[in-house]
Amino acid sequence: MHPVFGQPGRLVAYVIGSMLVGLFLAGALTRQGLQWVEALTVMLPASLVYAFVCLSAFYVCLAAPLRTSHVTRVLASSGLAAAIASTFWLLIVRVWYAVLDVMPGGGFDSVRLAPQIPFLFTAGVLLFLLSLAVHYVMLAFDAARDAERRQLHAEVLARDAELAALRAQIDPHFLYNSLNSINALTSTDPAGARRMCLMLGDFLRQTLSVGSQAWIPLADELALAERFLDIEQVRFGARLRVERRADEAACGCLVPPLLLQPLVENAVTHGIAHLLDGGVVRLEVARHNGIVSIAIENPRDTEVRLTGPGLGLQNVRRRIAAQFGEQGRMDARAGEQSFRVELNVPCNTAHD
Amino acid sequence: MTEPSRLRVALVDDEALARSVLREYLTSIPQVEIVAECSNGFEAVKAVTELKPDLLLLDVQMPKLDGFEVLELVGREVAVVFVTAYDEFALRAFEVHAVDYLVKPFSAERLAAAIGRARERLGRGERMPSPDLVQAARPAHGYAVRVLVRDGSKVHVIPVHKIDYVQAQDDYVSFSSEGREYLKDQRLSEVEASLDPAKFVRIHRSYLLNLERLTRVELDARENRVAVLNDGRRLPVSRAGYARLNALL
Repeated sequence: MHPVFGQPGRLVAYVIGSMLVGLFLAGALTRQGLQWVEALTVMLPASLVYAFVCLSAFYVCLAAPLRTSHVTRVLASSGLAAAIASTFWLLIVRVWYAVLDVMPGGGFDSVRLAPQIPFLFTAGVLLFLLSLAVHYVMLAFDAARDAERRQLHAEVLARDAELAALRAQIDPHFLYNSLNSINALTSTDPAGARRMCLMLGDFLRQTLSVGSQAWIPLADELALAERFLDIEQVRFGARLRVERRADEAACGCLVPPLLLQPLVENAVTHGIAHLLDGGVVRLEVARHNGIVSIAIENPRDTEVRLTGPGLGLQNVRRRIAAQFGEQGRMDARAGEQSFRVELNVPCNTAHD
Repeated sequence: MTEPSRLRVALVDDEALARSVLREYLTSIPQVEIVAECSNGFEAVKAVTELKPDLLLLDVQMPKLDGFEVLELVGREVAVVFVTAYDEFALRAFEVHAVDYLVKPFSAERLAAAIGRARERLGRGERMPSPDLVQAARPAHGYAVRVLVRDGSKVHVIPVHKIDYVQAQDDYVSFSSEGREYLKDQRLSEVEASLDPAKFVRIHRSYLLNLERLTRVELDARENRVAVLNDGRRLPVSRAGYARLNALL
């Protein structure tokens, strides 16, 4: 059904509009020598009926959409439809005239109407074309609003996914174990307990604050990863050693926040924690030709069977795909004794 | 009130700080003696064998041998209280008759309560869980990837793909792997249930064979079917076993 019928307000406005057109046409006819009463009696009802005929322009618009149709097709279909509608309009006027003539107290002689036919036909064509134009504008407006809504919807989805990813990125067991370490330190090493509290506080605050940003400098992301490793080092003692090699030129590149977090966490929980004597977690960052490479490597227990990529790794891959598209890459490789994840993403230093 | 009898406890946790919390808490509980501190499952099995403690305070997540595997190996000789940051293992822990389950971080009072429960259970002389029950409570995701065999204070870890065959011997089973035999206190049917049926076939009442080791089945002089392994060893194949083999090959 035509959209105007869906909203009573619009329908009333449309009817009032058609009356105004009828009034205008009647006025025009009085200039041709018709009496006001006669002109109004004919034009007002005829205009009302024609107004609904003009709504058919909606279907013409749907049949020849501006975006996909060739201009000649639009012009041809518009012209043809306008001519047909206007012919119909003349018919309405003629029939109404005849009806009025046979009614008691008639006196509507169609001879007086004949000279007005070219004028009425032109008016009919113009009105229909006006209706077409309005419909085209309305459809374009609807399409724009739809696109906007879709865009908004996509943004909301992306934000939701992001939040879910962030929530998944702080492992509660990391907190429980850290609290247990603090609990141990309070009696044996109170200064150590205090240091641990501060590190944990810093880590949580930074994690939560960068989580709300779209991009952060790689330097900040590295600092956060190192803070995490510092805390885990208290827990694992000499079993966890960290080697870091960061190219200064890469530190200014912008990355999505907490991109590295799942990777360093994996390096500890799936690497170091499975080894009796622990090992070294390597963090390497370099920049070549506008590409920043970030590598995280950890030793692994050869007896522990490799399973497919876990949730953390899948999350990182998805985020890289979402943020960098074709230009971003994540490679995970299990060596004989080690596991290495390498990210290659374009280095941007400014984002909108 | 009578003084409780002396409780000999071994601490098992791969984190030194986690052990130090336990040690500190235990000093305030009367009649408790720490006989060993172990940083992994192998040490725990050794300590149980050599020192015979009454109670293990046992972490779950440890390298090489996790807490449940330690329980599987020594659970009949010692009471176990699990101590872990993960609350999701609690149900399994009670299924394998753990005395208690502490989640990190925990208070001194909570540990004291667990020690109390352990004393109670030991005082009643309650039977410790059988290995079958421990096996039954193992995680349900997939088949075993390795078999643990205790040899006195030592633990052998045999990856499943290195097992040639398993043979029933009285109350034991013997795992044949890389030219050695490992005896384990278990029934063959339990071993069969824990291994992937697409890789291990019960070819005989007393034999479970790794299919990858099979080269051919032939008839011996007395018209009995015999499986020939790729190292030349020969194992008997029963009628039902032959049918199972045929169904798989």
